[in-house]
Amino acid sequence: MAEEKNFDRGSALSIFGSDRREDFMALVFALVIAFAVYFVY
Amino acid sequence: MVYTKKSPALFIIGLIMLAIWFLATNDYLAGYIEHLGGKKYKYGSELTSIPLYFGIVAAVIGAWQWFGSHKESQWDYYSSSIAGGMFILLIAMLVRWFIAPEIATISVSMGKVGDTGKHIHKLLGLNYVVLGIVVGIIIVNVFKVPSWAQNGVRLSRLGLKTGVILLGTLYSAAELKNLGGLSIVMIGFFVLGSVGMVLWIGARRNIPNSMGGVLSAGMGVCGVSATVAAAPVVQAKSVEIAYTIGTILLWGVGCMFVFPIIGQLLGMTHVQFGAWAGTGILNSAQVAGAALAFQPDGIETLKVAEIFNITRVLVLPIIVIWLAVWYVRREGEQAEKVNVGAVIFQKFPVFVLGFILLFALSSTGMFAPANHYKGKYFDNTKVKPAKMMTEEQIAVLTANSHLVQREDRKAALARLIAGGKIASIDDDATIRGLANSKVMGKPSGKILKKAHKAVRHTAKKVKAFRGWITWLFAFGLVGLGMQITIGSMKQAGGQPAVIGGIVGFVKAALSLVVVMMLIETTI
Repeated sequence: MAEEKNFDRGSALSIFGSDRREDFMALVFALVIAFAVYFVY
Repeated sequence: MVYTKKSPALFIIGLIMLAIWFLATNDYLAGYIEHLGGKKYKYGSELTSIPLYFGIVAAVIGAWQWFGSHKESQWDYYSSSIAGGMFILLIAMLVRWFIAPEIATISVSMGKVGDTGKHIHKLLGLNYVVLGIVVGIIIVNVFKVPSWAQNGVRLSRLGLKTGVILLGTLYSAAELKNLGGLSIVMIGFFVLGSVGMVLWIGARRNIPNSMGGVLSAGMGVCGVSATVAAAPVVQAKSVEIAYTIGTILLWGVGCMFVFPIIGQLLGMTHVQFGAWAGTGILNSAQVAGAALAFQPDGIETLKVAEIFNITRVLVLPIIVIWLAVWYVRREGEQAEKVNVGAVIFQKFPVFVLGFILLFALSSTGMFAPANHYKGKYFDNTKVKPAKMMTEEQIAVLTANSHLVQREDRKAALARLIAGGKIASIDDDATIRGLANSKVMGKPSGKILKKAHKAVRHTAKKVKAFRGWITWLFAFGLVGLGMQITIGSMKQAGGQPAVIGGIVGFVKAALSLVVVMMLIETTI
């Protein structure tokens, strides 16, 4: 997306080393939010 | 290397958020909110809660980043992204709460545009989603993203993926069944058609097989992820991947702004537009952007668009296998052996499985209680007399009832007219479909929507999920704008851009025709 830039870690699109890791982090965040909603509301 | 910048920026962002909360809570913004629409202003409750929570987090972490000492570590790297993340969030807040309503106010004061019956901001889709992306594009291309925010800007895709996964909690089994069947047919046809078309045109224009292969996956399936997944099986070079991503981006950004305008001009329903965006736009983030730009204050269009988008991602393994076989046939012995199964396993986007997991959890009833879907307010004793339809409203519906063609809609409308309120969940779905189809004209449409609202019951958990999803997408799309640089657009060029343009246009135009002809349902 953004033009190629040298990032020490991650890529121009993500702070994570791979798409897979980003996907898992998204899943973790989604589950945290889902369970927070489940218990709070 | 230490990533955390000793900058006051995050602390100041926190103070600005807290100031917004303070001014809103103590009614100092009352005059301005009156100017922005008074009772019609929809964000009053957000102003008195969201900036408080995020303001405290930003101010506390900002003070630590500014005054604390920092050492190289995992925590240092990941926490350095918070400043940029809060920067994006602050922009999303300002655009959603102040800039977009201000533009709407100015637009309304200018009157409606010609015969369209719409104000210019509605026609051009100048809502918080589009404006957020535009502000992001301006910041990155005119002012540059500040160094303290650069790590955080790269969180935007994480926000979008989290939003897509959470969206899984909001589908009922019936919706998924109806939309799933429709999306499989449309996506199957258009994905396979676009892949085949790129390969066919590519062969006639003599582009390398690796270029054709990677471009076909990008144009057919889901943009960047598909390009990356297909690259190893067709042995694409870095420059070919860059060309493909540039082409997809150029086309996708154009579609993101143009699709909602066309949708408004054609008076498309939520399902029609969602299906069209989910089929015709190439990249997941831009599908979400277009869907929210079309319907900024609701997620019905986004839900439809994402089902199509996810169906498209699910086709990815088939495309990778097709391209692997196609490439070996074209290149013969020169093709290196690639373990296709391993490529699919390594590159398949896991967030799609997350969406399915959340849908599975949701369908157990843990997030939306059964009465959310049954609709507990259909009971006569629970609908307030003031919310029943008036005699004038019944007269308007009766006068226009001859415009309804479908038998199920005729029957539901007859029951509504007889009873003065919607009597069942099935009738509610049918009446909503009738309202969204706009066949009875605007006054009747308003009455039908009012009748739907009178019996609508949304579970608190569902409301909370909608709030989270809206903000995750707003966050992700402002960040997406900050990643759209002129340099990245320039990566497109030559034959890939020509082939991509032809296939993208044909796909968008044909899918529009199919959607307008075949779809008139609703959710």
